[in-house]
Amino acid sequence: MKTRVVITSMGFITSMGNSELEVMNRFQTDTVGFRFDDDYQRVPVCPVQDFDLRQYTGRLKNRRYLNRGAGFCVAAAILATRDGKTSNRELSHAGLFTGTGPNFDISSECGEIVHGDLDHSSLQALWMLRFLPNTASSIISEILGIHGENATINTACSASLQAIGEAYRRIKDGYLEIALAGGGDSRLSKGGILAYQKAKALFIGEGDPCTLYSTFDEKRDGFVPGEGGAFFVLEELSCAEKRNAPIIGEVCGFGCSLDGWNMTAPEPKGIWGEKAVRHALKEADVRPMDIDLVTAHGTGTLLNDQMEAALIHRIFSEKQPFVISLKSWIGHLAAACGAVETAITLLCMNNSFLPKIRNLKRPCAPDINLVLENREAQANLALIQSFGFGGQNSALVVRKWKK
Amino acid sequence: MNIFETVKQIVADILDIEEEKILIQTYLIRDLGAESIDLLELAVSLNAGFQIEIKDDDIFLRKLRRYLEEAKEKSLDQHSYLAGQYPFLSASRIGEILRVLEGGPVLTIEDLVSYIFYYQNNVDRT
Repeated sequence: MKTRVVITSMGFITSMGNSELEVMNRFQTDTVGFRFDDDYQRVPVCPVQDFDLRQYTGRLKNRRYLNRGAGFCVAAAILATRDGKTSNRELSHAGLFTGTGPNFDISSECGEIVHGDLDHSSLQALWMLRFLPNTASSIISEILGIHGENATINTACSASLQAIGEAYRRIKDGYLEIALAGGGDSRLSKGGILAYQKAKALFIGEGDPCTLYSTFDEKRDGFVPGEGGAFFVLEELSCAEKRNAPIIGEVCGFGCSLDGWNMTAPEPKGIWGEKAVRHALKEADVRPMDIDLVTAHGTGTLLNDQMEAALIHRIFSEKQPFVISLKSWIGHLAAACGAVETAITLLCMNNSFLPKIRNLKRPCAPDINLVLENREAQANLALIQSFGFGGQNSALVVRKWKK
Repeated sequence: MNIFETVKQIVADILDIEEEKILIQTYLIRDLGAESIDLLELAVSLNAGFQIEIKDDDIFLRKLRRYLEEAKEKSLDQHSYLAGQYPFLSASRIGEILRVLEGGPVLTIEDLVSYIFYYQNNVDRT
């Protein structure tokens, strides 16, 4: 019999809040946290206000080695295990799969570089740890006592969805009974904004920052960077049942692929993205017409949304599922987007609710079922898509849990 | 602010502990659990905080046990040998170090303070 993998706990930190109640309330009241960046004043960003890592870790000297994105990883992993239902013994055998991004916060390390000399008296001895991709994983394992199979995944904006997929596969294939998976990221630093601004990938505008940004709009013109993190406890169904763990949803299938096309632009037709999606559907043993909801990658860049709309239209030719785009609510969380959007998708499914795509006035793809107004709807099977720089594609199928 | 107060602040910050836990006679490794990477950070911060060159091996008494072996091999008095290697430590502190050796790493906050005081007042270290 096929091994089933379920999600029994999740923790998330977003600009819309850290709990189901807060996030659902933000949806209902149409409240979002977009504002203009302090340094780049025409660049809207979507920060997590008042994030204090210490609130999650307590006193912890190694906190100094976490960049902001890695801090979101650690905080979300702590939240995902905080209910105490996962015992220390279970955690010690658990796997750990972490999606992280690069640290672009260069100016915090070397604010002033004189004659190429990077060293200065306040540069920490081990400042490099804030740039190593696996520092978050190392600190999570230390705090939670996790010692099992693991991987840190750095596949750009596809990373955290891929981390969940990898954890799912290791459990499905019998390497692990239980695993923690997710990711965290922030590009909201001088270096981060500079990077995407120079790449001409950012939305730039004037006016009320909360009404500007949309995805899948004909006038879309770049993404708005956000930040946050989410982690999940994934486990084999029998393991969850044995310990009476509450089940939030089931991970049914995963797929990933590489475009082999361009360093930043997606392959225009989404041929290889489609391969990832079809693989996930096949692994979930479902037909395209069984999918009720697609959580699109939907960045608001010209090329992504065009490619993604075509891909969705093609795959779901028999029956178009609802398409939501959570970046219009929280911005683009880079490496963390897949995990955070999976968490919010599960919240929506369990509340029989679909959030509108904010600020969408002129849909660029009338032939797909973009959700234009908040609505009640049952969605039993959802597909989450992430497409990252470098042609990194990943897709995850989740099912709403029915007792 | 005196040297001890500043050292206390720096150590508390690096180890993320309350300043009240740090007394002049507190052992850095035995009592506060400082690890090797913490000492690396401490050296950098003390250097920045006091504007003097911190030699890790000296301030953290890293070669203490090797020096004791050397003294034994050369049939020299351990106390005077250590006093030669660590001119910043008082004779009474060296006596105390020799008495508590068995209990583990001997480094105290006082040793850091002594080092800084000594080299702030003895610029020529050659």
